[in-house]
Amino acid sequence: MIDLDAHLAAIRAGDADAFGRFVAGAERGVRESLRSFAAHVDTEAIVQEAFLRVWELAPRITPDGRPNSLLRWSVRVAKNLAISEARRARVHGVDPSTLEGVEDASPTAPPDPLLRRAIAECREALPDKPAMALAARIESGGAEPDEALAARLGMKTNTFLQNFSRARKMLGECLESKGVAL
Amino acid sequence: MTPEERESLVAAVTSAHRDRGPRGEIRGHRAFYDLDDAGRREAFEATLRVRTIETAADPRALSSTARAVLARIR
Repeated sequence: MIDLDAHLAAIRAGDADAFGRFVAGAERGVRESLRSFAAHVDTEAIVQEAFLRVWELAPRITPDGRPNSLLRWSVRVAKNLAISEARRARVHGVDPSTLEGVEDASPTAPPDPLLRRAIAECREALPDKPAMALAARIESGGAEPDEALAARLGMKTNTFLQNFSRARKMLGECLESKGVAL
Repeated sequence: MTPEERESLVAAVTSAHRDRGPRGEIRGHRAFYDLDDAGRREAFEATLRVRTIETAADPRALSSTARAVLARIR
């Protein structure tokens, strides 16, 4: 079983690389815990803010003796942020059960080599412009807005987004043909 | 809104780039607020798939979300 608390001591000591390994294993569980908020708040912003707070508060976190205490804590932070944001936006009708499920979050294993290879093969099969748009997004790592990525590729922003959408769909179809579901 | 416009909004929301507010808080993507509930849910599921692709493409298995977070703490 994966226990992301293996990184906790290093994270508390300020090791950003260790925090990166923690985020790599925790991100999907944290994001999926916000599914019931998806129509109410921008969960991408919540996920990023939650991890920044976890990093800031990690030195004060005491493990509860069970595996993945830092992951459960991250889910709790993310859900509280989402509830605050939903209230701020005066969203009505958020299901109270959204606070449940903290215990359900589980860590994600690193992608296996077969998945990596399948995705690489499907990316190689993409037409040029969709491939360029997808590569620009991946290489940027969230550092730049799409407007900047589009300008660098000599595309209008809307054309960039359409090419990115095509890449996403074609990649999904290609992976499906290989028996891979994302 | 045409299907193409909706698709572009969903694609925009899948980006990990987010602006910061005056107090340093991470702001929601403006495309998110132009989508209806169904579009927002679609963007959520699309983001999960995009992050899986990004993770598989990165030698450290970091998605663009993870890289954006790490860029802010380093």
